[in-house]
Amino acid sequence: MRASYGWLKSLVPGLTASPADVAERLTRAGIAVDTTHEHGAAAAVCVVAEVASIRPHPTKSGLRLVTVRHGAGEQEVVCGAPNVPEPGGLVVLAPLGAHLPAKGVTIERRTIAGVASEGMLCSEAELGLSEAGEGILVLPKGAAKPGQKLAEVFPEAHDFVYEIDLTPNRPDCLGHLGLAREISALYNLPFVLPEHGVAPASAETMAALGVAVEVRDAARCPHYGAALVRGVTVAPSPLGTQWRLAALGVRAISNVVDVTNLLMLLWGHPMHAFDLAHVRKKKIVVRLAEAGERIRTLDGVDRELVADDLLICDGEGPVALAGVMGGADSEIKASTRDVLFEVAYFDPRSVRRTARRHGMHTESSHRFERGVDRGDVARVLAHATSLTASLSPGARAAADVIHAAAPAPAPARVALRRSRMDALLGVAVPWADACAVLERLGFAKDADGAGDAATFAVPTHRPDVTREVDLVEEVIRTHGMDHVPAELPAIHPTRPVGGSEERARRARAAAVELGLSEAVTYAFTSTAGLEALGAPKPSVVLKNPIVDHHQVMRTSLLPGLLAAVKNAKNHGVRDATLFTVGSVYLASNPGALPAEPLWLAALLAGDRPAYLTKPSAYDAWDATGLAVALVERLAGRAPTIQRESFPHLHPRGSAGLYLDGVRVGRAGPLHPDVRDFFEVTEAAVVVEIDLEKVGEPRLPAYRALPRFPASARDVALVVHDDVPAGDVLGVVREAAGPLAEDVAIFDRFVGGAIPPEHASLAFRVVYRAPDRTLTDAEVDAAHAKVVAAAEARFSATLRR
Amino acid sequence: METAPKDTIDQALAALAEAFPRRFEAAETEQALRDENAKILGKKGELTAILKELGKAPPESRKAIGEKVNVLKRDVEARFEERLRAIEKKRRDADLSARPFDLTLPGRVPAHRGHKHPINAVREDVIAIFAGLGFAVHDGPDVELEENNFGKLGYPPDHPATDMQDTFWTTDGHLLRSHTSNIQVRAMSLQKPPMAFIAPGSVFRRDDDATHSPMFHQLEAFLVDRRVSMAHLRGVLSEFATRLYGPGTPVRLRPSYFPFVEPGAEVDIGCVFCRKADGTRAGCSLCKHTGWIEILGCGMIHPVVFEACGIDSEEWTGFALGMGLERIAMLRYGIPNIKLFFENDPRFLAQF
Repeated sequence: MRASYGWLKSLVPGLTASPADVAERLTRAGIAVDTTHEHGAAAAVCVVAEVASIRPHPTKSGLRLVTVRHGAGEQEVVCGAPNVPEPGGLVVLAPLGAHLPAKGVTIERRTIAGVASEGMLCSEAELGLSEAGEGILVLPKGAAKPGQKLAEVFPEAHDFVYEIDLTPNRPDCLGHLGLAREISALYNLPFVLPEHGVAPASAETMAALGVAVEVRDAARCPHYGAALVRGVTVAPSPLGTQWRLAALGVRAISNVVDVTNLLMLLWGHPMHAFDLAHVRKKKIVVRLAEAGERIRTLDGVDRELVADDLLICDGEGPVALAGVMGGADSEIKASTRDVLFEVAYFDPRSVRRTARRHGMHTESSHRFERGVDRGDVARVLAHATSLTASLSPGARAAADVIHAAAPAPAPARVALRRSRMDALLGVAVPWADACAVLERLGFAKDADGAGDAATFAVPTHRPDVTREVDLVEEVIRTHGMDHVPAELPAIHPTRPVGGSEERARRARAAAVELGLSEAVTYAFTSTAGLEALGAPKPSVVLKNPIVDHHQVMRTSLLPGLLAAVKNAKNHGVRDATLFTVGSVYLASNPGALPAEPLWLAALLAGDRPAYLTKPSAYDAWDATGLAVALVERLAGRAPTIQRESFPHLHPRGSAGLYLDGVRVGRAGPLHPDVRDFFEVTEAAVVVEIDLEKVGEPRLPAYRALPRFPASARDVALVVHDDVPAGDVLGVVREAAGPLAEDVAIFDRFVGGAIPPEHASLAFRVVYRAPDRTLTDAEVDAAHAKVVAAAEARFSATLRR
Repeated sequence: METAPKDTIDQALAALAEAFPRRFEAAETEQALRDENAKILGKKGELTAILKELGKAPPESRKAIGEKVNVLKRDVEARFEERLRAIEKKRRDADLSARPFDLTLPGRVPAHRGHKHPINAVREDVIAIFAGLGFAVHDGPDVELEENNFGKLGYPPDHPATDMQDTFWTTDGHLLRSHTSNIQVRAMSLQKPPMAFIAPGSVFRRDDDATHSPMFHQLEAFLVDRRVSMAHLRGVLSEFATRLYGPGTPVRLRPSYFPFVEPGAEVDIGCVFCRKADGTRAGCSLCKHTGWIEILGCGMIHPVVFEACGIDSEEWTGFALGMGLERIAMLRYGIPNIKLFFENDPRFLAQF
């Protein structure tokens, strides 16, 4: 919403505060002024000049030399405009030194084709007043005296324009009148509704002229007001009006259309002007559309309607979408003589649904949706007829005005208790001040409202106020929130951090400890990506996604990580070690909300960091190693790795992670088809962990430290290379017996003296007894069983 | 014959005593020294061999010879230790004075450093601040019922207030929560006051442009008790600003509108970018030369919300405040663009 400081000042005559001060006060009261823009600054320095004489330029045919009188004398300027008026005509001169911000120029003495020029005759665009018009600005004869500053003659030419970011609860401030009321309240200045004249009226009533209004849906249109002005001459509005509209971002069209826009900007109440000649049967019918009915709106779009759309019709068919936009056929034309003005109150929800359904957002629908002042219909109509008549000499209003109105509801009455207000705010606002400011805002206090409570009648321009807290807000926002002191509350001890937030925090800490960087990825993704991963079919599908590839809620965290890897590669970064913690969205019972279990996914792409050697790509053992390290940190114990096939993992390295027989995740290199789909060119391994299945970490339990020394024995066993090392390890552990405290594989070797298709696996077995130092003989005896068992089970031989 | 073994033994001991120091000196390495030592004191060593002859000596001289042997053995051992230390010292001196290592080669990193995402780093910090003030943490679902996201929060149907939050809808008629206030509704429907909790989480709005991401993160805080006032809200805000941005960070409230609070306000803090040593602010492009930066929205919980959750709004009052974590992170780290958070470029992530 744009607002004119000059206009506001004229509505609050006592206002002396500067534009900046008003902007600040409004902002601090919740009417956020985003920017203040000076409009037509040039009008304050440029002067009205009268053309004295014109002669051709000696050398350039397109230029003329114009002598003008500007009060303090005459001067000759070079002018290229085709529309320089005859001597006696009034133009606007930018004198030497004048700065024209709209064009970013300062007028200097210069020579044009050999002739010195000491000024410039200005166009409206050069003055920053409007985009309109060709050639220089020519003022009406007699409008001003030569030498007067343009802004003195036309106050609208120089103004400060606020860009206001209004919250949707304040429809009253979508008009200058509402803003003026705010300013009056804030500065404690009297507020009066604007004066306007009375249109000369003819003797004929609307009925006598055959004009009728029928409202068939009083719920959607509780009040329809119509007024008629006859004998109008459609012409441009006065310059000042045009410039005011331009400053507020509205294009001036004609005196009739400009009246509707000007009054909307003043009263905040949209209105419509029909050419009565095109209102068939001179009848207005307000009704719901029939499904499939069509209307072509002013924007030229042919729209198919549904039965929920409210229409303004004439005697034969639709002429406007109520409160949203007029139809193309009934607009005001140059030939219009009789103008039918509509000022109505439409149900905000109805207007909003229609506007949204048709993808329209207009100045009108914006205001109706938020709720216009239901009580100002008659005033706005009267203002429209008087203003139109004043701009169109000879025009006359009809003798009466039609109001098709349901009885106005009684004003809401809201009680305010001083004790409640003070308790809620934590500060005592002087009661008299609170009541006074509410009254300045238009709330009528009950006469008997003495003491520490009062009841206020809510004015029709404040539909947002319905309860006591709303009044409390009115008081504190105008009184100043700075008056509220800062006080720390005493907070009852509450349950500490828990739930999924704490689970996510621990997972994050574990992954960061392992050197991974956290990615935050979108929760929505594409069906195709999930399909490529073999992830569960998405159950949450968006009805209105922004883009097709963000159309379902993810059932796997991997698409987001893979997108990050692809993105990194596009920026020349090959290696990525990423993880993300987040929900996946899985189907639950039909109609119920989805399950949102929290998962962690990690991805290693590219090469493993190496020290001064050629790096090598991540492989299956990076996946399992990372998986074990993560689960150990999260669960307090290591998972078992079981070969298990998952569609998105490489079949040779695909593994399930198990804790106590429950699968808590999976790990392995990505399937090459998946890499292809996500355009990941580097080797990539992934780990996925269901954080809810992993559960809470086990508290570590203390085990006594060993008091007796250990003895280690190494053994290298040559086995066929299709024997899993883990199986051999298991047999070694079992054979080594209860004295074996730890068994680890520390070398795997193929080639050399090892027979083909065989591998040497070296194990270190650590023997220890809790209660004594083991003798060499005891250890040797235990260790001998290891070799024997491996020979028996795997035909292993001892590597020598 | 009786004296012969004694003399022989004496001679052998004398010869050995005379020769072993030279032999030890000749050993240049620890291994050579140990070998030499073994030749003398080992199981098959020379002194051991001499000792075996002792039985042949006359009994009366055995004691004297025995003492000589022991003296020699102690000498050998002492010399061995001495020489061992010398060799070790020589080796160590050589090592210490050898050419320095090339320390310009990169260090071998024990484990690569991991990084929290800046949004979550901020999230954890903010949670810690509120946890320290006594607030619990609650969570709630991303896919939500309309009534929990809008209806119970006092959003009238078909009201333009919902335009502030253009919402993603699912084909099942649910929605992606447009704010974390759904957690407020859930918590207050399940628990009875007093309660103090915060609600962090992902939220979703149909906005995707230079300054908006369709998914972002919020954290809200709620306090419900008897006689909670706006002054308490202000107190918590000041404490929060002090703990997050440092002492002396001014806080100001500007009235604003959110359907679920009344009165409602936006909160500005003194600009963290152009703050001068004396605490004043010079004004900069980031605060649009106002000296203030907006960080969150807040207000007193609307009675409508209490009523929708079955809580007596006369008995209980409360405040709610909510912030966008992206904004807090942007202000904290000087990140200029919200898009950077979701590109997850490893070079970006490694900065935090």
